Amino acid sequence: MSKIFLAKFPMTTNINELKKRASWLRREAFEMVARSKKGHFPSSSSCTEIVVALYYSGFLRYDSRNPKNPDRDRLFISKGHAGMVLYPVLEDLGFVPKGELLKFTKADGIFRFYPDPSIPGIEAITGSLGHGIGLAAGHCLAAKHEQRASRSYVIISDGECYEGSTWETAMFAAHAGLNNLVVFVDRNGCCIMDHTEKCVRIDPLEDKWKAFGWHTVTIDAHSMPEVMGVLEMATSGEIDKPIAVIARSVKGKGVSFMENKPGWHNRMPTDDEIAIARRELAAEPNA
Amino acid sequence: MTDVQKALPRDAFIDEIFAAAKSNPNIYFITADLGAKALDRFRVELQRQLIHGGISEQNVMDLAAGLAQNGKIVYTYAMAPFITLRCYEQIKVAVASMFLPVTIIGNGVGYSYTDAGPTHYATEDISCMRALGGLEIVTPCDTVSAVATAKLTHSHPAFRYIRLDRAFLPAVYEENDRRFLNEGLVEIESGEKVCVITNGYMVQVAREVKIQLASQGINFGIIDAYRLRPIDGNILSGLLARYDRVVTLEEHFLSGGLGGAIVEAMADAGIMKHVKRIGVADTYLFENGGRGYMHRKAGIDAATVGQEIARFCQEEK
Repeated sequence: MSKIFLAKFPMTTNINELKKRASWLRREAFEMVARSKKGHFPSSSSCTEIVVALYYSGFLRYDSRNPKNPDRDRLFISKGHAGMVLYPVLEDLGFVPKGELLKFTKADGIFRFYPDPSIPGIEAITGSLGHGIGLAAGHCLAAKHEQRASRSYVIISDGECYEGSTWETAMFAAHAGLNNLVVFVDRNGCCIMDHTEKCVRIDPLEDKWKAFGWHTVTIDAHSMPEVMGVLEMATSGEIDKPIAVIARSVKGKGVSFMENKPGWHNRMPTDDEIAIARRELAAEPNA
Repeated sequence: MTDVQKALPRDAFIDEIFAAAKSNPNIYFITADLGAKALDRFRVELQRQLIHGGISEQNVMDLAAGLAQNGKIVYTYAMAPFITLRCYEQIKVAVASMFLPVTIIGNGVGYSYTDAGPTHYATEDISCMRALGGLEIVTPCDTVSAVATAKLTHSHPAFRYIRLDRAFLPAVYEENDRRFLNEGLVEIESGEKVCVITNGYMVQVAREVKIQLASQGINFGIIDAYRLRPIDGNILSGLLARYDRVVTLEEHFLSGGLGGAIVEAMADAGIMKHVKRIGVADTYLFENGGRGYMHRKAGIDAATVGQEIARFCQEEK
């Protein structure tokens, strides 16, 4: 695919630059919640580095002028409650007109509470867990049959591993040899009511994906070098299986009082809490 | 090619898809481990286009949606109760809400899988599937209508649920008759005063009852409700204009089934008629003994239906 990048921020593989963008994205996501009193900041902040690395390092091939370019790579944010983390990126990269972010969840805005394919750059409706991986597998099959190089990346939550449909497709994708499918499991350890291991145990999670026939790796989801490293591996063409990345993360990363607290899943911060959060997020490196 | 008067509706349907798929590499057929005589060649000759999705209906439906998003013409296929209820939320979210033209083929509606028990019966699929936005629901009552339906699904792909019977069904339509496609509701037997609206396998039961009641001076018409969603109120109104009373007959629970769809359409079209709905008993049947026996247990065998209709015809309005 030809050069199709139109970002305000230039593409970079510089780790420090990417870290700054992750800080920028986290702040933008928080401000969306602060403005609209809607959204899921903690779930968004746990996968921020993954999103930044995909969009800004050149690994994800996209076409903001023609979002449905058949040669594009696909990104499915299967944990749809965190779909909002893509919106600042989509606005920045020119998928939608500037100013849309300020209209998040407004009747005249493009960006909805949960993502759906009417939003340029969003592949599919998500919000009900356990769909993104199956949809992506369909895209991967189509890409293989059409001999296109495009890959599908899926960000799923660890809670999504409770859904049987996740494992139905995990089994299928390995059998079908979908080495153009990369799943990031956002392993923040929290679902709505409690920590996953206290609700219904998920571990040993990497072993489960491995047993289903996937190439697996565990990384620190907030370490930009580790995220970049895994993308390099995933795009190397040397792996002949679908890839599951267990991305160990912190839900609410960047806001101390939200970090690793399941209760903050969809709680809205008070004005005082907003002020504290802004100070903490501003202390991260500036973009 | 299939002799459409002799083939099972299912095999003729899949034969037609197979024939189309041979010249159209964009046609995909995903099975959740339900085979068919007609699929055997498909598996051998079009391996890439015939996908075994595992006994994983949720995976099958999401895969189908993903392929359809890439412009593929996709069929999903399994026993009717499994390809509807087992993956109902996938149908809603991945297919219906993204307006994708996936064809869902449910084989063995009603008590088609005779003696298999409630797991294999589809006596609530109409009501469940009717609730989904934008879906077209059709029930071929013979092989001619099954093949014509198959042609429609690849020439004009849409979000459709095709209800196929497992049994051989005697011909209802002439080879070139396409009224069912154009109008959805077709008067296949004319009558006086009362008409029976039914579809699929039950068309044959209605015909048997018609012969039976002729000796009592009751001559009812029969309307094949080939397309249950959407129903064209004008067509329904025209068909019912010369009848005083309406009976609906289905191998399905009464809640939200064929009869429910018809009376809703009547209400919406302002059609005021006396209606009697006949469907299966509001319970699950475990006894074995064949489809006729099942029908007697469920209260939809020809003798029972005949008595019900005769009684209904004598009721004061």
